[in-house]
Amino acid sequence: VCTSRFWFNYRHVANTLSVYRSVKRLGIPDSHIVLMLADDMACNPRNPKPATVFSHKNMELNVYGDDVEVDYRSYEVTVENFLRVLTGRIPPSTPRSKRLLSDDRSNILIYMTGHGGNGFLKFQDSEEITNVELADAFEQMWQKRRYNELLFIIDTCQGASMYERFYSPNIMALASSQVGEDSLSHQPDLGIGVHLMDRYTFYVLEFLEEIHPASQTNMNDLFQVCPKSLCVSTPGHRTDLFQRDPQNVLITDFFGSVRKVEITTETISLDSDSAGFESKFPKDELAIEPLRYAEQLPVAQIIHQKPKQKDWHPPGGFILGLWALIIMVFFKTYGIKHMKHIF
Amino acid sequence: MAAPLVLVVLVAVTVRAALYRSSLAAFISERVEVASPLNAWKRVVEGLALLDLGVSPYSGAIFHETPLIIYLFHFLIEYAELVFMITDVLTAVALYLAIQDFNKVVFKKQKLLIELDKYAPDVAELIQTPMEMHYIPLKVALFYLLNPYTVMSCVAKSTCAINNTVLAFFILATIKGSAFLSAVFLALATYQSLYPLTLFAPALLYLLQRQFIPIKLKSKSFWLYTMQYAALYLCSLVVIICLSFFLLNSWDFIPSVYGFILSVPDLTPNIGLFWYFFAEMFEHFSLFFVCVFQINVFFYTIPLAIKLKEHPVFFMFVQIAIISIFKSYPTVGDIALYMAFLPVWSHLYRFLRNIFILSCVLIVCSLLFPVLWHLWIYAGSANSNFYYAITLTFNIGQILLVSDYFYAFLRREYYLTHGLHLTRQDGTEAMLVLK
Repeated sequence: VCTSRFWFNYRHVANTLSVYRSVKRLGIPDSHIVLMLADDMACNPRNPKPATVFSHKNMELNVYGDDVEVDYRSYEVTVENFLRVLTGRIPPSTPRSKRLLSDDRSNILIYMTGHGGNGFLKFQDSEEITNVELADAFEQMWQKRRYNELLFIIDTCQGASMYERFYSPNIMALASSQVGEDSLSHQPDLGIGVHLMDRYTFYVLEFLEEIHPASQTNMNDLFQVCPKSLCVSTPGHRTDLFQRDPQNVLITDFFGSVRKVEITTETISLDSDSAGFESKFPKDELAIEPLRYAEQLPVAQIIHQKPKQKDWHPPGGFILGLWALIIMVFFKTYGIKHMKHIF
Repeated sequence: MAAPLVLVVLVAVTVRAALYRSSLAAFISERVEVASPLNAWKRVVEGLALLDLGVSPYSGAIFHETPLIIYLFHFLIEYAELVFMITDVLTAVALYLAIQDFNKVVFKKQKLLIELDKYAPDVAELIQTPMEMHYIPLKVALFYLLNPYTVMSCVAKSTCAINNTVLAFFILATIKGSAFLSAVFLALATYQSLYPLTLFAPALLYLLQRQFIPIKLKSKSFWLYTMQYAALYLCSLVVIICLSFFLLNSWDFIPSVYGFILSVPDLTPNIGLFWYFFAEMFEHFSLFFVCVFQINVFFYTIPLAIKLKEHPVFFMFVQIAIISIFKSYPTVGDIALYMAFLPVWSHLYRFLRNIFILSCVLIVCSLLFPVLWHLWIYAGSANSNFYYAITLTFNIGQILLVSDYFYAFLRREYYLTHGLHLTRQDGTEAMLVLK
């Protein structure tokens, strides 16, 4: 998500497009990417090289080409649309490309860049999203089982404030700067006249360039990217909500779409009972125990169930008293002689 | 007389059933003129839902009904429409029977006074005959059931209809002469909305009259009977309130119901006079003005009791009218009740002076209420002053109606005893003026 517009925020668009390209390179298809951009750079009248958006690399890598699919462009990038995409509360007329069609086995990467402050991120210079809103959106996603694990990367000033309020499980967050610090941009391009990238994303991209679908690099390496000497701001990260050890989390779990394919020469007969099927697995298989949703965190602790609605009934004493009174009034008015007809 | 009554009832039930099924039902239940914070159906449903969730319905500022209503609707909530239609029918039948009896009493009294030669010789045309009085009960039932105000109130399922039923039964019990039942129903009516307390005086006067106890302050039997009736009334009230305690095992309902009626915290616009005034008032003075406004409701009882002690049923009518004009959250359902009595005084027709202007004012204001509401709230081209102006005009119309009937009644009484052609001391024609 790029939350800025206007020519001087070129670098945010370039950031986003560069991450988009890396993620596509590592195997995630456009149908699985929701790209939100102001998209006013390539055809901006101030762009000396129209129909292009350059990132840092050699100043010659055009990250805006024929195969960039922007899902939410220009004025559609709003806080409301962003939250609707995350939580899935989308009007039925929305096309599939604009929806986040994730389920409880999906790992989601969210990359946001723009202008931010302590606890908020500015959208399109007219509205803001707060860290509380974002945390609540993620909680909604958790409760609606819209993610398995979530990696949240933010490259803005005081970015660490945006992940302070998360409380849903299985979220890992990275930010380009701590509260009180500004994220700085990388060097400008004198030909284009604006800064082309932000420092943090520049170094993250440099890091990502070495990743290929089979690499075993884990998250701890990503946390080391862009130390203070290079980035001037102190990047931060948050892993306390995450179940697995970051050491064991592969970069490609989030940035790429890697299928574990085992080629076997044996024939496996698929029986109707699954117990028999699992026992036929070859023993030297990479032992991944299937991550069941329920085991990750006790559901009852997270999803606070409403107590079962008990119907209220008026107390017996009241009913007795009321009807006794009514009968007394009746007999007082009409005389006691009717009593023998009733009983 | 039963057959025409049944016909009227059937027509009324059909009209209500038809409206329930139409799309107007939702529109009407939203109208502020029909549903006030005290008796809106939405709030009853909300209160019962809160109770199912284990929360006391009086804990917020939503629910202001009494525990007996909770009990009633707890079992009947699915049949709400039937309940309201039945209450309307019961009210109409009760009023029918009451007025039938009242006519007999009036006729007897008239006969007695004629035989005692209390009437002037030339007032033959003012005497009520049984022929013209024959259809009055039917007209009363008709006026109540087919009054657009009642129909709207029923379609909106406002619990004002239940209050009207209790009041109608109270009137029936009083006119039949049963002090015990009358006290019980009056206690129920007071328990539900505080203001029928003022109806204690006319009921007492009627029962005294019926027992032929003269109303003299020194008379022992007068005080004895008054004490008896007051004791019956207060005991039933206390018993009902204590019984309501046992429904939810808390006294929460007292501030929610009576505190709410008396202190008027909710200033949603309605057809009454309280909301605008208190919306503009500074906090500093609001207690003072709340007291003033509430005293205004109760205050008219004493002078009216002194003036109308011979005519307690008319007093009751005027009192009900005053309650529905000056109460803190009036709705059109309250108005429908006293309007149902108008046929009883149809013999006053020749003395009424403002019929045309009154009917115009009332009809036009009723039609303008939704128009100005729409202009104020939805179109934004009017403001609350417009709606308040219509409220004021409507209430002035009602007050004019009541005072017109009051004057006509007193004038007729005067003519009955002094003859139709009034002359002053020197023989010229005199005019009767209400001072």
